[in-house]
Amino acid sequence: MAVGLTRRRSAYLAGLLARRAALLVVLLTLVFAAVDLLPGDAARSTLDRGATADALAARRAQLGLDDPLPVRFARWIGGLATGDFGVSARGEPVSAILGGHLPNTVLLAGLAFLVTMLGALALGGLSALHPGRPLDRAVSSASTVVVAIPEFVVASLLVLVFALWTGLLPAVTVTSTSGRPASASMLVLPVLALALPQIGWNTRIVRAALTDELRAPHVEAAVLDGLSPWRVLTRHVLPGALPTIAAGAATSVGMLLGGTVVVETIFNYPGVGTVLAGAVLDRDTAVVAGTTAVTGAAICAVLLSADLVRAWATGRRA
Amino acid sequence: MTWRGGNNVNLTRRQLLRIGAGVGVATAGGVLLTACGDDAQGTAGQASSGAPRKGGVLRVGALGKASAITRDPHGVQNNESDFLILSLVYDALTVPGVTSNVAPRLAATWEPSADVKRWRFTIAEGATFHDGTPVTADDVVWSLQRLRNTPAGKTRLPGVEADAIQADGTNAVTLTSTYANSELPLLARLTTFTLKKDTADVAGSPGTGPFKLESFQDGNARLVRNDAWYGGDVLLDAVEVRMFESPQAMANALLAGQIDLASNVGAVAARVAESRSDVQIVKRPNDMAMPIVMRVADGPFADVRVREALRLAVDREAMVKQVLSGYGTVANDVLGTADPAYDKALPQRTRDLERAKRLLTEAGFDRAKTYQLYTTEDIPGLAESATLFATQMRDVDVKIEVVKQESSAFWDGTWLKSPLYTTYWGTNDSLVFFASKTMASDAAQNEAAWKDPAFDAAYQSAVATADQTVRTGRLKELQKIEYERSGYLLWGMADGVDLAAAKVRDLPKLGGYGRVQLERTWLSA
Repeated sequence: MAVGLTRRRSAYLAGLLARRAALLVVLLTLVFAAVDLLPGDAARSTLDRGATADALAARRAQLGLDDPLPVRFARWIGGLATGDFGVSARGEPVSAILGGHLPNTVLLAGLAFLVTMLGALALGGLSALHPGRPLDRAVSSASTVVVAIPEFVVASLLVLVFALWTGLLPAVTVTSTSGRPASASMLVLPVLALALPQIGWNTRIVRAALTDELRAPHVEAAVLDGLSPWRVLTRHVLPGALPTIAAGAATSVGMLLGGTVVVETIFNYPGVGTVLAGAVLDRDTAVVAGTTAVTGAAICAVLLSADLVRAWATGRRA
Repeated sequence: MTWRGGNNVNLTRRQLLRIGAGVGVATAGGVLLTACGDDAQGTAGQASSGAPRKGGVLRVGALGKASAITRDPHGVQNNESDFLILSLVYDALTVPGVTSNVAPRLAATWEPSADVKRWRFTIAEGATFHDGTPVTADDVVWSLQRLRNTPAGKTRLPGVEADAIQADGTNAVTLTSTYANSELPLLARLTTFTLKKDTADVAGSPGTGPFKLESFQDGNARLVRNDAWYGGDVLLDAVEVRMFESPQAMANALLAGQIDLASNVGAVAARVAESRSDVQIVKRPNDMAMPIVMRVADGPFADVRVREALRLAVDREAMVKQVLSGYGTVANDVLGTADPAYDKALPQRTRDLERAKRLLTEAGFDRAKTYQLYTTEDIPGLAESATLFATQMRDVDVKIEVVKQESSAFWDGTWLKSPLYTTYWGTNDSLVFFASKTMASDAAQNEAAWKDPAFDAAYQSAVATADQTVRTGRLKELQKIEYERSGYLLWGMADGVDLAAAKVRDLPKLGGYGRVQLERTWLSA
């Protein structure tokens, strides 16, 4: 019986892994093809304007751009398997470009995620415990508003208020000689710009999940048993609400990483978002694909963890 | 020097411009500093601010993209930040000047042979690399040959083969051109960076410039003063270059006091800063030309009367005011507006709708048709210039439809081919630069496919003589022909716009790449 359960569980896990891996491959194929479909290529953007047709052709050959798309994709994904991300249109190893910038983005998105979840759990929890009260209504309207505002508007407002008007915080991130943000205060505004819309979104999810769970018979029973509210919340409400909250959080990780492209540019933050924005303009396929591969893998991993949490919570209940 | 204009910084500058377009046109207020003082360094700054003071660290913001960082002094630099760093660490043979468009740098003097084919450049006395070794002719020859052998080398040193670059003694080099070329010293500006002979790893290798590279990280750099610089006293202790992906972030950094100079941040940022009394707005005139190209060889604009009509139909003042937010000047269809030999005596074309209509009728121009004007968003204002131009042409019943193209599609399919399109150029202090690159019959980038024997003759005789009087006369003739018959409609010139903190003095005021000359800049107490 126990052995059968374990086997079923591992088969389920293997299936999950296979699905997430397949998703990543599809994503990479699409990104590679999409960059190729854009007009122009990296040869043009790495030459002087006066470059002759011959020079352009030579450059295309040098960059391997004259090979058909499937050949280039196969070459790139083959290299990926051995940890080789290829070289940028300017001959820099993509792994070096990403290596310098990825830790910064992980730091930024990680902090934003932390702030998002803390904020959403606190606000969503308060709302759920006091349904219909003024606090609940205030949180509900505020969360709707911030969800509706795009990151660049949030970011611009934050800069205006906290940097340009009051001078409390730096307007942009300055990089120290180590390649990291020169001071912790420089992280505050970008983290907030990323987190605020996500707090709005997750607060609504947390509130809905907790409210549903509070109405469940086993919770009512626990309350009637005279258990302390904290015990009811941690032992009986949260576990049931967790799969929904985890799914919302996992979606937020994707949104946060996507948001870095805009937010990093506005704050001049030295992360992969700014690298990606520039590389798309230059049609630098290797850099675009490498960045997408890394962030795509990260998002797939997060989605996988959310699946696992759900599997664990469901299994626990079964 | 060929300049890709800044195909690199477009997305965000373009976005910024759109935001700026919403601001509308208001009268300019605030502190506007135009060029003041006409010293040889070409600098601007608050007037009569006392004697230059030594010391301090200048924090400079410059535009650049992380994926496009290039540390090779002879590579294609799309990042303004990279070019700024390289220009402070390395010296070119010559640089742009104010009174003349060619000023000495690593080359102290230069003189041509009688046939103006062979030029001898003498290395400045006392020039040394940052590691203390003296600069020799061998170093210069090796560096120039290295430049010539890059993919861009042929356009950067036209007419000079690698083996025609030779040492002449220990402190001079000769460059021999395949044709008589009085412009060679001008072509040697800005990218003829000199490295030590046989440098294997060029990134961070010792230069000869006013600042030494102390550290470099992902496009940001710290440079310290070179006390042994042969070019004179450098005042700043250090320059810290910060790379910015977007001009908006750069402007915010300046307004928040995180940087002291926002280099080439643009007119939109300047409008935002106009209300700030603690910020200097530095206008560098003649920074960018954005002419409209009318194809001469064939098609609807082949008739000179049609081209003349469009030149008379455009409202130049309105273009400058709306497209450039007022940060620019009206031009007169002749390219190379900052050349000392630019002919200011040519009558300024102004709007004359009646004459324009008459000319169109005389030429039998088909006004029932709609004509496409191709443009890109490569630089701020370019697409807007096309739109406003199209609107203005309705006043003479010429229907123009603006077609906005993606940059690469434009350069591959439209440029040099279509009957009507916008272009842009960042080197504007040389009449001959444009004549040789875009207007001589055999020019590789003859944008309007214009062939005019009289123009060719004027151009060839101008570059074949080193006699200034003869040359000026020829250039006057050249400009008259260009003014009357070329395929260009140059309605105005955009200023380069920098923002600076109040304490920054003697900033460069030259257009184009002249903005990198920070060796005389200083900070007041």
